[in-house]
Amino acid sequence: MAEQVIPTKKMPPGLQVENVDDRIMTLNVGPQHPGSGHMRIIVKIDGDYIVDADPDPGYVHRGEEKMAESRNYITNIPHLERPVIHDSCNILYPYVLGVEDLVGIEVPERAKYVRVIAAELNRCIYIQYWLAIYGIFLGHSTMFMWPAGDRELLIDLMEKITGARVTHAYFIPGGVRNDVPANFEDVCLRQVNYFEKRIKEYADIFYDNPILKARTEDTGVLSREDAIRLGTTGSVLRASGVDYDLRIKEPYDVYDELDVHTNVLKSGDSYARSKIPWLDMLESCNIIRQALEKMPKSGSIRTKLKPNPKGREDEVYRRVESGRGSAGCHIISRGKPEPYRLKLSVSSFRNLIALPYLLKGEKLGNMPAVYWSLNYWPVEADR
Amino acid sequence: MGTATGIIKALNSGIKHLAVKRFTLRYPEQKLKFVGDGYQFDPESGVAIAGLKGRHMLFHDHCTGCQLCSIACEGVAEAIAMVKVPDKWGQNAKSIMPQIDYGKCVFCGLCVDACPFYALYMSNDYELSSFTKEGLIYTPAQLQVKPQVQQDSELIIDKRGARHG
Repeated sequence: MAEQVIPTKKMPPGLQVENVDDRIMTLNVGPQHPGSGHMRIIVKIDGDYIVDADPDPGYVHRGEEKMAESRNYITNIPHLERPVIHDSCNILYPYVLGVEDLVGIEVPERAKYVRVIAAELNRCIYIQYWLAIYGIFLGHSTMFMWPAGDRELLIDLMEKITGARVTHAYFIPGGVRNDVPANFEDVCLRQVNYFEKRIKEYADIFYDNPILKARTEDTGVLSREDAIRLGTTGSVLRASGVDYDLRIKEPYDVYDELDVHTNVLKSGDSYARSKIPWLDMLESCNIIRQALEKMPKSGSIRTKLKPNPKGREDEVYRRVESGRGSAGCHIISRGKPEPYRLKLSVSSFRNLIALPYLLKGEKLGNMPAVYWSLNYWPVEADR
Repeated sequence: MGTATGIIKALNSGIKHLAVKRFTLRYPEQKLKFVGDGYQFDPESGVAIAGLKGRHMLFHDHCTGCQLCSIACEGVAEAIAMVKVPDKWGQNAKSIMPQIDYGKCVFCGLCVDACPFYALYMSNDYELSSFTKEGLIYTPAQLQVKPQVQQDSELIIDKRGARHG
């Protein structure tokens, strides 16, 4: 052990002195893209083993919540979906539901179904992107190419509906902005069926692959109690054996009319956390097929809104199940066209708290496998 | 399942794809076909018409210079500026029309939703790159031009997989 460093004079505030150990090395992973988006993990390693890990988010903070206070309820839409551009429908969903509560408008039945379809398509698009990066993190370059390619099928669909490949700005208080194009049901069904067939092929090459299992099984085990205690959500929570999905527990729009199943795995390791999103995609395909069947064939798509809607003096909190877990939006209104305060409660930030607990005692080489299995999106966590 | 069988299965799954046709689109030669002529909005019903949100189309004979598009853009990107136009139109007393800076535009289409006079639509043109920042600013005269787009490639799904043709 090295000699203790004792400060001889009083240190200025903010500076800290810590003991230097010969064995322990501090390593900065990041902030230049350890995965996707800027964040840093400060790991202390003893040889090849991680002694301590400290995630350090905040490099891509954009002040979304403050920006929302100076914009009205409609012009807030394009910038509020920026935290997760691949999952832009789901991150916008709680905001739109909250504004509908505040303004007091009803959504037409057909618009609810279209929203569910768009949200589920977006969930698949997000998970495919996440899976591609998980593949390349583990050195499996085929698993980068396949999801990135198959994702195009659904991006094409979203482009047909919304007119944009990412950042759709599609949901609006009162419904959706435009109706789906003619003949959309057939095109959607065809493409979703093919997509489902494709993602089932991932089982052989990735999920049943012994190399992947050797790499991820029994690494970063999060027990059921810890998952609940740390407040994790979404795929991380369900991989630890807790059956909790907001689409079932707090159904919004038409999820209560659809037959939604959740996928729960008990092991709580990186393998389970990487498999749950894939099972979610298969479930999403089922939901889209049901919604296409039950959707009213014609009807209104949007309740007309006043040009500059004012919310009543109240506060609302709505949450939805996004691609990563529960995404919430708390809006405080003071009767003005702008929200007085808007708070986004995002799942990435809530799942990140598990990282120091999971990495302790792991090998450094397993860090990417554990880190990315948390279904974490740096930009969303920083908002 | 043993380790060897698992690895062979995984390899086999990849090898099967040698026979599958290429999914990728050869971009400058092939261009994806879009629904309709671009994103449009019908102020009477308050519902938009699905289409690609590309470069705007401005109809000079409808624009009244009311600045609603510019006001809608203020909270989003501040990309729209109202500028003087040389020609006189009966409905446009101030002779001002929107000029759009595509270096700032985020293609959300809220300006199209704001226009009550059927004057501003979006078109299928998405190839807007320029060597200078000034080249990204489109004047009302440039926005009036209907874009020449050749987009014909569609997604084909059959037994051999998905491809563009």
